[in-house]
Amino acid sequence: MTLDIEAIRADFPILERRLPNGKQLVYFDNAATSQKPQCVIDAMTHFYEAYNSNAHRSNHTLADEATTALENARNRIASYFGTSPDQLIYTSGATEAINLVAYAWARENLGDGDVIVLTEMEHHADIVPWQQLSIEKGVEVRYVPIDTESFTLDMNAMEVAVADASLVCVVHTSNVLGVRNPIEDIIEMSHAAGARILLDCAQGAPHERIDFDSMGADFVAISAHKMAGPTGIGCLLVKHDAMEQMSPFMTGGLVIKTVSTEGTTFQEGHAMFETGTPRIAEAIGWGAAVEWLDQFDMTEVHEHINDIVSWTAMQMREIPGISIYGEPEREDSSGAVSFLHESIQSQDLALLLDEGGFAVRTGHHCAQPLMDALGVPSTNRASFWIYNTMAEAEAFVEYLLYVVERFS
Amino acid sequence: MQEGKRWPACLDSVVEEFQGCFDAMERYELLFEYSKRHPTPLPVEEWTDANQVHGCQSRAHVICLVDEEGGFILRGGADAQIVQGLMAVTAMAVNGMKPAEVAEMEPEYADAMGIRSSLTPSRANGFLNMFKRVREEAALLL
Repeated sequence: MTLDIEAIRADFPILERRLPNGKQLVYFDNAATSQKPQCVIDAMTHFYEAYNSNAHRSNHTLADEATTALENARNRIASYFGTSPDQLIYTSGATEAINLVAYAWARENLGDGDVIVLTEMEHHADIVPWQQLSIEKGVEVRYVPIDTESFTLDMNAMEVAVADASLVCVVHTSNVLGVRNPIEDIIEMSHAAGARILLDCAQGAPHERIDFDSMGADFVAISAHKMAGPTGIGCLLVKHDAMEQMSPFMTGGLVIKTVSTEGTTFQEGHAMFETGTPRIAEAIGWGAAVEWLDQFDMTEVHEHINDIVSWTAMQMREIPGISIYGEPEREDSSGAVSFLHESIQSQDLALLLDEGGFAVRTGHHCAQPLMDALGVPSTNRASFWIYNTMAEAEAFVEYLLYVVERFS
Repeated sequence: MQEGKRWPACLDSVVEEFQGCFDAMERYELLFEYSKRHPTPLPVEEWTDANQVHGCQSRAHVICLVDEEGGFILRGGADAQIVQGLMAVTAMAVNGMKPAEVAEMEPEYADAMGIRSSLTPSRANGFLNMFKRVREEAALLL
């Protein structure tokens, strides 16, 4: 099947949007969040219009419908990620998923003398929880450097770092560089060393099919909103044996089995970690999103995005004063091009691009250690997804050249 | 400021220049030019945490002082040229005024220049944070 990009675009009403200055929106900020197809918007609206109720509580019709929809969404999402629903814990997103591992697993199982391996490529969400744990429990945190020539992880350093590690936490795909890390090798290396491994797949999941059971990671953190789903929901995929080592770190709501004045007993499995009223509408929306995504071959999706990204990066390299961070032309690279201009400051450049209708991200992208390694305080980032077109990329390159010629 | 004027007379020509711009891109271009004309710039070496303006997306720093004749002086620096340009225009407006006048001044010149309507809400808030900081510092110099 060949992707019909025009048909895909028709599913996203926001792509028709014009900005206040009349310019057609060209949305290149997909690594921050993706747009949502109409079916996701409809599924969430339908929940509120037709059967809004709390789940797993009352036994009236609406409550039953809400509970069924919530759990059907779990089944659908778990199936999309190649695993069973009892290995999926709903969270608010990848950040909470990583924190869940830090507080519910690592806090119980790691202490003085244990080593956690991170990389310089990590998002702050996969750094700060471990720094906090280090302060609290005395674990050692190590950082695997990147090679600033190839913009890839130093795998020799990785091998040394994981040798005596208890936990390895690695970003599947860098939100800044678009680099897809050799996670298969890192998983094998980590398990050979006897370490658990956590993958931050917030950026990877929108670009390739994550098959949890076959990939072998112990924990996988995912955000829905970067893959056509709503904001405010994500999940932690957890292997059964790792989940058995976890204790609840937030309590209340579904987490509880019984409460008396003598004490509390807790639910088992994923319910132990899903505190309070569930994100019902969001789960239903995410279920609709994965059903929508499931109609596509993600290898074709990746190739489509990679074609655009490669072409864009090659053209941008010809624009005077533009430096690109990463190697977006690589076949395994995902949809991000991070760049700077030598004389137009990144915030200024983003504003000028916005004036032309082009939405790009600016800043340190919540990856300051990576910025330090690259020797820059921030970058501009154009990030692409399934609905972007070569025509948009051509317009972007043409407009960027115009801005550079006029303002540099 | 002259009675009835919402900004100092020295800014009239600047405001007119911006009002003559064809579109937002021309206004930005002009701000880039003004970024090089800050009358009392603050070089990077003098940027500190204490003089940083918080709430700006880009780095911006201001130092406010009074000269021997009691006139207000705004020294400022920013890494973004659009912010630096806004600072330059603001310095042109407030330099030499009495601190009491600066403490009560409103940034209406930015509206008249068409700048605030061109800025995204977050960038406009950044400008307002910078302006608020200048007014607060002016009040402390009374």
